[in-house]
Amino acid sequence: MFWKKGKRIANDSSDTQQPVQRKISLDSLKQVLDNMDDVEIIERTTLNDQKVVLIYLRTLIDQDRLNESIIEPVIQCPHAMIYESIATPKVMKIHLLEEAQKLLLTGAVLLNDCIQEQWLVIPLPNELSRGIETSETETILYGAKDSFTEQLEPNITLIRRRLPITELKTEKYKVGSLSETTIVLMYIDGLTNPEYISIARKKISEINFDLFFDSSQVAAFMEEHHHSIFPQFQQTDRPDVCAYSLGLGKLTILVENTPFVLIAPITFFHLFQSPEDYINRWPVASFLRIIRYLSFFLSVTLIPLYVALTTHHYQMIPLQILFVIVESRSKLPFTPFWEAILMLTILEIIKEASLRMPTKSSQTLGVIGGIVIGQAAVQAGFASKVLIVLVCISTISSFLVPNYLMTKANTLIQFCFLLLSSFFGVFGIAMGAVAILAHLNGLTSLKQPYFSPIAPFYWKDWIDLFIRGPLINMKSRPDHLHPLQKWRYKRRM
Amino acid sequence: MTTFSLFDKSSKMDGIYVFFIVNRFQMLFLFFLLPTYLLHPFMIWGIVAMAIFSQLNIRLLCKWLESNYAKKGYQGFVELFGVRMVRLLTFIGLILILIKITVITLGYLEVIHDFIFPSMNSNWIIFFILLTSSYVASLGMKNTIRFVVIVFLCVFWIIFLYFPFFIPPIAALHDLYPLIPTNWTTDSWKGLLLIWSSYSGPEYLICLIPWIKPQQKMRKYLTYANALSTSEYLLLFIASLFFFGSNYLSKSKYPIIHMIRYLQSPMFERLDIILISLHMFVLVFALSIFLLCIYGATRIILKKTSTQPSRMGFAVTCIVLFLCFVFVNNWIWSIKTEQNILLNIQIWLSGITYFIVPTFLLLLTKLKGRVKA
Repeated sequence: MFWKKGKRIANDSSDTQQPVQRKISLDSLKQVLDNMDDVEIIERTTLNDQKVVLIYLRTLIDQDRLNESIIEPVIQCPHAMIYESIATPKVMKIHLLEEAQKLLLTGAVLLNDCIQEQWLVIPLPNELSRGIETSETETILYGAKDSFTEQLEPNITLIRRRLPITELKTEKYKVGSLSETTIVLMYIDGLTNPEYISIARKKISEINFDLFFDSSQVAAFMEEHHHSIFPQFQQTDRPDVCAYSLGLGKLTILVENTPFVLIAPITFFHLFQSPEDYINRWPVASFLRIIRYLSFFLSVTLIPLYVALTTHHYQMIPLQILFVIVESRSKLPFTPFWEAILMLTILEIIKEASLRMPTKSSQTLGVIGGIVIGQAAVQAGFASKVLIVLVCISTISSFLVPNYLMTKANTLIQFCFLLLSSFFGVFGIAMGAVAILAHLNGLTSLKQPYFSPIAPFYWKDWIDLFIRGPLINMKSRPDHLHPLQKWRYKRRM
Repeated sequence: MTTFSLFDKSSKMDGIYVFFIVNRFQMLFLFFLLPTYLLHPFMIWGIVAMAIFSQLNIRLLCKWLESNYAKKGYQGFVELFGVRMVRLLTFIGLILILIKITVITLGYLEVIHDFIFPSMNSNWIIFFILLTSSYVASLGMKNTIRFVVIVFLCVFWIIFLYFPFFIPPIAALHDLYPLIPTNWTTDSWKGLLLIWSSYSGPEYLICLIPWIKPQQKMRKYLTYANALSTSEYLLLFIASLFFFGSNYLSKSKYPIIHMIRYLQSPMFERLDIILISLHMFVLVFALSIFLLCIYGATRIILKKTSTQPSRMGFAVTCIVLFLCFVFVNNWIWSIKTEQNILLNIQIWLSGITYFIVPTFLLLLTKLKGRVKA
C-alpha cells in the first residue's frame, strides 16, 4: 500500500568480509572434516610404489564407479602420472581448501598425489534420482506424460530434447548459504528479450538467504510484490510447458532438488492455460478455456452472491427461486453470511485434511465430509440445501484452474468477497472486483505487466487469451512478451 | 515496491488509451440525466449537433496536443504561461476538478441511495469508494491510465442490454415524432447545455499528455471516442423515448436506470442493482485519475514539483477529499435546492471548460509562436 515505508537493510560488515583463502593440505582437510561419520580417507599404493590418499563422502559419491574408475586404475598405474590413469572424463587440479570443501560436498573425490604433491578432484556424484514419472499436479489425457524430477541434469535433458538448439543457454548459479542450491537460468539466446535475462540475473545475484528447498522459495525472493496473493512466477513440472514457454520468449529457472520449474515473465492469463489447450481442436480448446475462466469467476463470486442476494437484495431473486430459498432457510439459526462462513470453513478444513492425510484415510475423510456437509448439516439445520449446492459448484469450479497456487488464491478472494457482500451486497462484490482488478493491473512479473495483454492492451495477442485460436493463425509470438524474433515460422527461400 | 512513484513517466501509452479514457469520461455521470432534460424527440438532432461541435473542439484540442508545448508537459505550460500563471491556472483547475468529482461521486451516491440502499449511511459508501480509488491511484498514474482498459471492458457491454427496448411492442415509431422542433423553450437550451457538458472530458487529457506516446494519431482515437459516446447517447435517449414516451420522461429522474429495472433474466430480476454497481468501475477510475491530478496540482501550487511525491502527502490529499465529500454530502447535497445548484454549476462549468480549454490553449500557442517568429 502507498503508506508502506521502504525497509532499510542494515549493512553488516561481517557478512561482506571475504573469507581467508588457505592452501589445501591433508591435515587441514582432516581438521575440517572432523566428526563427519561418512567421510572416508583411504590410502593406496600404486604399482609404482607411489602413495595416494583418497578423500570423499561415501554418502555422496557413486562407490561402484569409485572402484572402477579411480581405485583400480590408480593401483594398477605403472607410471608416476597418476591423473592420466583415472578413467573419468573430468579431472581437475585444485589448490585451495575452501574449493576442496565445496567440491567434496557436491560428490567429488579428492586425490592426493603425494609424490607430485598435487591435489586432484574427480567429480563422482551419486545420482540419486527417481524415475521420470507422470505429472501429478498438471495431469492431461493426451500429450506428453513425462515430468521433471528432483535432479537438475535430467530436467535439463528433458528440455534439451525438446529444444535441440545451441541457442538454448543455461547459466548456473548457487543460492542459499547453507543449502548451496544450484539453480539454472534457461533461455533461448536471440529470442528471449535480453532485458528479462538481465533482470533475472540481477535478482538471482541479490538473493541472500540460507535455505532453499523449493522453487517457490526462489520465486519469493525474485518477486516484485511480496504481499500479493497471486503467483508472479509460473511453476510447472511439465517439460513440454517449459519448452513451449521458452519458445515464446520467456525464461525458465530450474532449481535443484525440486521438480517444479519457474517460468517468467507470466501474466494472470497464463495461469489459466493448460497444455491440453494446444492438443485439442481449437474450438474445443477455446470452449474449455472459457469454461475455466467462467469457473474461476463462479468459484469467487457464487457464494458471495448468494449472501448478497439473501441478505440485501431479495428483490433480485425471481419468485420461483425465492420460494425455494425461503423454504430452505426458514429454520436456520444463522444469517446467510455466518451460514456461508461456517460451510466454507468446514470445507477448507476437509480439503486441507485430505491433502495432509494418507491416501487411504483421505478417502474415508471424503465420505465423512460428504455426509457431514451434504446431509447432516442440512438435517441439523445448520445450512440450507441451496447453500450446499452452491458450495459444491463453487468448490468444483475452483479446481478447474490449472494452477494450484491460483486455486489457493481463489479461496482467499472468495472470503474477502464474502465479507464485502455481507456489508454492501452486490455493490460490495463490485467494489472487491475493482480492487482485485486494480491490484492485478498493478502487478508485475519480472517487471512486465501481469495483466497483459488486456492492460497494457495488445489486441493481437487476444488470439490466445480467452480463446485458443487456430495454430495456423498464431504465426507471431505474443507482442506483450517482446521477443526478439516476432515470427514463429521461417521464410522459405 | 519500496519507492513511491506516482508520476513515473518511464513508459508511454498508446493512443488507444486516449480512446478508452475519453469515451468513459463522456459516460461518467451526466448521461444518466440526459433523457430527463432532453424530453423531446427532436433533441436527437441536438445530440447530433453537439457531437459535431464536440468534434470541432476535439480538432482544436488535437492541434494543441500535437504542439511542442504539449509534448513538454509541465515545462510546456511554464513556457507558455510562466510559473506564476501556471500556479494560478492550476489552482483554478484544482477547484474545477474538485467540483466535478464531488458532483459525480455524490450523484452516483444518490443513484445508489435511490436504487440499492435507501437506508444506508452514505458516508460509508463514500469512504469505501474513495478507499478503492486511493488504492488504484496509489499504484501510480501509469497503472491508473492502464486500468481504463479493464474499466472499459467491464462496462461497455451494458449498452447492449437496452436492445429489447428497440423491439416492438416497446418500440413504436410514433414515439420518435416530432423530429422537427415545434416549440423551442429555455429547457431545450438547457438540454443542449447538458449534452455539451456530457461531452466534456477530453480537455482533461492536457493533464495526462506526459503519459501518452508522442506521434500518436490522437485525432483518430478522439474521433472514435466521440463517435462511440454519441451513439451511446443516441441509443439511450431513443430507448428511453420508446419506453417512457416523450410525455413521461420528465417524471423519472434517472429514466435510463428505471428502464433496466423492467428487464428480467431467468437468473436475476432487478438487473439495475448489478449495473449500477458495475458503473462504480468508471467512477473509481475517474476518481483515481482526478485524485492524482489533484495531488499533482497541489504539488505545483505548493512549489514542490522538484521533490519526490510522498505517501504522507498523498494520504493527506485522500483524507481532505473524503472530508470534502462528507461535508458536501451532509450539508449541501442533501438539501434539494442546493443540490440542483451544485449540479447546475457543474453542468455549466463542464460546458465552459470543454469549450474554453482547447480554444484558449491553441490560441495562446499560436500567439506565442507568432511572437517568437
